[in-house]
Amino acid sequence: MAGETAAQFSPIIYMLGFGLLVSIPALVISRLISPRRRYNPVKFLPMECGQVPSGEGRTHFMMQYYAYILMFVVFDVMAIFLYVWGVSLFSLPRSATLPIIGFLAIMFAAMGYSLYLAGRKGIW
Amino acid sequence: MTTPIEDFRFGPFVASVVWLLFWVLIIVTVIVLPLIFVILFYVPLPLVNGEVLTPYLFLSMMIDPTRTLPILNFLIYTEFFRVAVFPGFMYAALIAAATIFIERKFLARMQLRVGPSHAGREALGTGFEGLFQLVADGLKLVSKEIIIPAGADKPIFWAAPIAFVAAAAAVVCLIPVAPGWVVSNIDVGLIVAFAIFGFFPLIEVLFSWASNSKYPFIGGLRALHQLIAFEIPFILSALSVVILSGSLNLTEITYAQSSYWFILFLPISAFVFFMSSLAELERIPFDLPEAESEIVAGWLTETSGMIYGLIQLGTYVKLYALAALFVVLFLGGWMGPQIFPDQLGPPGEKPPLLQLLTLDGLYHGPTANAIFWFTAKTFLMIHLMLLIRGINPRIRIDILLHTGWYKLIVLSFINMFIALALIYGGVLGPGGLLTPN
Repeated sequence: MAGETAAQFSPIIYMLGFGLLVSIPALVISRLISPRRRYNPVKFLPMECGQVPSGEGRTHFMMQYYAYILMFVVFDVMAIFLYVWGVSLFSLPRSATLPIIGFLAIMFAAMGYSLYLAGRKGIW
Repeated sequence: MTTPIEDFRFGPFVASVVWLLFWVLIIVTVIVLPLIFVILFYVPLPLVNGEVLTPYLFLSMMIDPTRTLPILNFLIYTEFFRVAVFPGFMYAALIAAATIFIERKFLARMQLRVGPSHAGREALGTGFEGLFQLVADGLKLVSKEIIIPAGADKPIFWAAPIAFVAAAAAVVCLIPVAPGWVVSNIDVGLIVAFAIFGFFPLIEVLFSWASNSKYPFIGGLRALHQLIAFEIPFILSALSVVILSGSLNLTEITYAQSSYWFILFLPISAFVFFMSSLAELERIPFDLPEAESEIVAGWLTETSGMIYGLIQLGTYVKLYALAALFVVLFLGGWMGPQIFPDQLGPPGEKPPLLQLLTLDGLYHGPTANAIFWFTAKTFLMIHLMLLIRGINPRIRIDILLHTGWYKLIVLSFINMFIALALIYGGVLGPGGLLTPN
């Protein structure tokens, strides 16, 4: 049973493998026929609009909107939970929708509060 | 290492081409052909029409029409054909190439760009101007030098474009093009599609970190923000489809729309899904990760040559996948009025050549019809996505986050409640007014 379930997914692996099979030769052929002369140290510098780059390329970067990332971690999982309910809606009794509405209400309240907090720029 | 470029001379150029041909011939005769026969010796060959499919038989099918159709009939039902050609890679790549061509022509018409609407009119005739630009662009990408910036993380830098194409291909294999014509018919196909779409920003962030440059890094972070703003509306907008169809299998979702398309009852969800798929694709109102007028080319700044080409191929395959997903979820997939005949050619016994021309035994009317309608609807969706690109500016990142979190999530919930009300009000669902018996 578990093997059958896993075997359902094997075409995805074939397709991924076919993607590799197509793209690797493309890179190899390009590497074979493209010119590779004229060594010049400036050519290999990171792009900074013609200036000589200053500092590291991998710098610390001010990541704003951090609150939204925290919210994403919670509410993305909530969205997938709803799928489990949505698929089996027809096989559930109607009264089973009430707890889901309650769950959604709690989640909406949490989301509203976190959006309110995310909008207060002073605390971030 | 610093050597000046030699002068171009025609004689040495011809000589190098001849040498190349010579080596190809040598390698084919000495290595490739023996290898094929060694492999064929060990591989159990399939039976076609009571005969073992030997290479001789396979090659003779081009001359003998009585053999062609059974062999073709055998080949198109193999797993390899599905993965490589029809619902799989080749079909998607062809649509991607067509999309690039259409996009150029369409944008040239809308924005008065002169190139694609004039180039090559003498050679190709009106309507096909700009077709050579596609070829020239491909040749340019293949023959350009791949420059890897100093200090880049080379394995990831090479692997990212390959992973991009492979992930895009993996989405394509979930999409049912016609009844039974899907590479992998999974019970949880929709969830798998969302899971694979989650890979793309990851690849972008990895690539931007690996290229050791500032603009790609900013672009990668923007891709991440776009993911967190639009992933939840994207997932929630498809939830109402799942509620109405009661299945996560994309084929079953299509069958659930045999009497009415879901866009009739879920227009708001369809709108949210369309908007979030534009964000997923990083197309123009939401093309912040590669905003070419702000941060050079975003996360694509350090790409060159075929690395850029592969990422573009992956992007357009992804565009096809998302347009096709919209068609499957909201526009009824392959459903449409029957316009193809059940059989090509005159009925009754036919001479062999006519059998070959009318694809006797291979042609199936309903399937051809399904493929036609699916492709037509997909192209309609692709045109809509291109139209949005033609008429919109880019939005700011805080507006992007605001749109995703405050508006689109609420809109998709509203349509979900409408769907629930329709089900509990006895309009849709089992025993409903509009449910076919």
